[in-house]
Amino acid sequence: MAADDLTFPRPDDLDDVHATFIASQLRASYDATPAHDATHVARVSRAVLAAAMHAPSGDLAATPRSRGVRPRWWWGAAAAALFMTVLTRPWRPDVAQRHADSALTSSASDSMGPTNEPIVSGRTSEEEGGTVRFEFTLPATARAVSLVGDFNGWDAGVTPMVRDRSGRTWSARIPLEPGRHEYAFVVDGQRWVVDPLAPQVPDAGFGPTNAVVVDIEGTP
Amino acid sequence: MTDAELVVRTRAGDPDAFGTLVARHYDACWRFAYHMLGERADAEDVVQDSFLRAYLAIGRYDERDQFRGWLFRILTNQCRNFLTSRGRRTKRFVQDEIAIESAAAPPAAHASGMEDAAVVRALAQLDPLQREALLLKYAEELEYSEMSAMTGAGESALKMRVKRGSERLRALLADAKDRGV
Repeated sequence: MAADDLTFPRPDDLDDVHATFIASQLRASYDATPAHDATHVARVSRAVLAAAMHAPSGDLAATPRSRGVRPRWWWGAAAAALFMTVLTRPWRPDVAQRHADSALTSSASDSMGPTNEPIVSGRTSEEEGGTVRFEFTLPATARAVSLVGDFNGWDAGVTPMVRDRSGRTWSARIPLEPGRHEYAFVVDGQRWVVDPLAPQVPDAGFGPTNAVVVDIEGTP
Repeated sequence: MTDAELVVRTRAGDPDAFGTLVARHYDACWRFAYHMLGERADAEDVVQDSFLRAYLAIGRYDERDQFRGWLFRILTNQCRNFLTSRGRRTKRFVQDEIAIESAAAPPAAHASGMEDAAVVRALAQLDPLQREALLLKYAEELEYSEMSAMTGAGESALKMRVKRGSERLRALLADAKDRGV
């Protein structure tokens, strides 16, 4: 047989002596292989397109498959919206109110001094003779602080507060009828501030305010 | 309409254009895959998977290339992958070549269309790389430079594969003829 007579081929001597025979055999086998009908081919085409709809990734632009996947910016926007929703919790008005108040007080303290100092805090205490003492501590000095509330018609000029020696704590004493009163502090005649740690009430028309209860058990 | 025009329309989202491409090249791909794999069902699966990959990667197709050559590059890779995975699946079984050769009827896997079953059976006994090189060279009638671009192998290596595959295939066919199979 001719194949047995061949020596090991060198790289420059790779001509195939059986080329014609092998080519004829392969072409004949190819030609005799039955073709598929158009129905089968159309089914394959549809199957490919259907599979491509669910393929995880690809480069084809503007296809039904790529329209089915949300773009990356969508996921970023959804994450940001979820974060903001969880942070502000609009479904709980009390928490949302508290966040709004905190934002107000922090912006007030930012404008008045360094932010690493304690935030504003207020305190109320009932004294002898139906008098209530209001204390208000600021992180920085202010020129004037006054107390406003439903007891003085929310007028910043009626009840000025007195500064102590530290220069940051302001106090005022006023007689109050037993019951529930809403109040706030006005810094430098223009900035309304509430104590973020004290009980707070929803906006009644004068911005966020605190509430104080004076001797309500003692009322007849 | 040329293949390049159909590719442009496929990229624009026209499914009918892709259907025309499939219809135009399906039988060529199927014959190659059948002679590479030796089984009809496997060949159909591999060809369908190759068209799917071509569809997903059609954005990367360079219009300067022949679409058929680009498609065959995907197809040859899919055939290689399939043979590798089938090799893993069948490794546990004993391959009794004598029993297969002396069987009264050809194995069912290699049966039965009008094609030359002896050629398909002999091809199945070749090394897959030799089989691939023989089919690309003689059945698809590609130049060695095209085969090299398609398979990533050097031209000398491809010539060697064709030569050795050709010798072995001729011997196998002569042997089958002698035994009257």
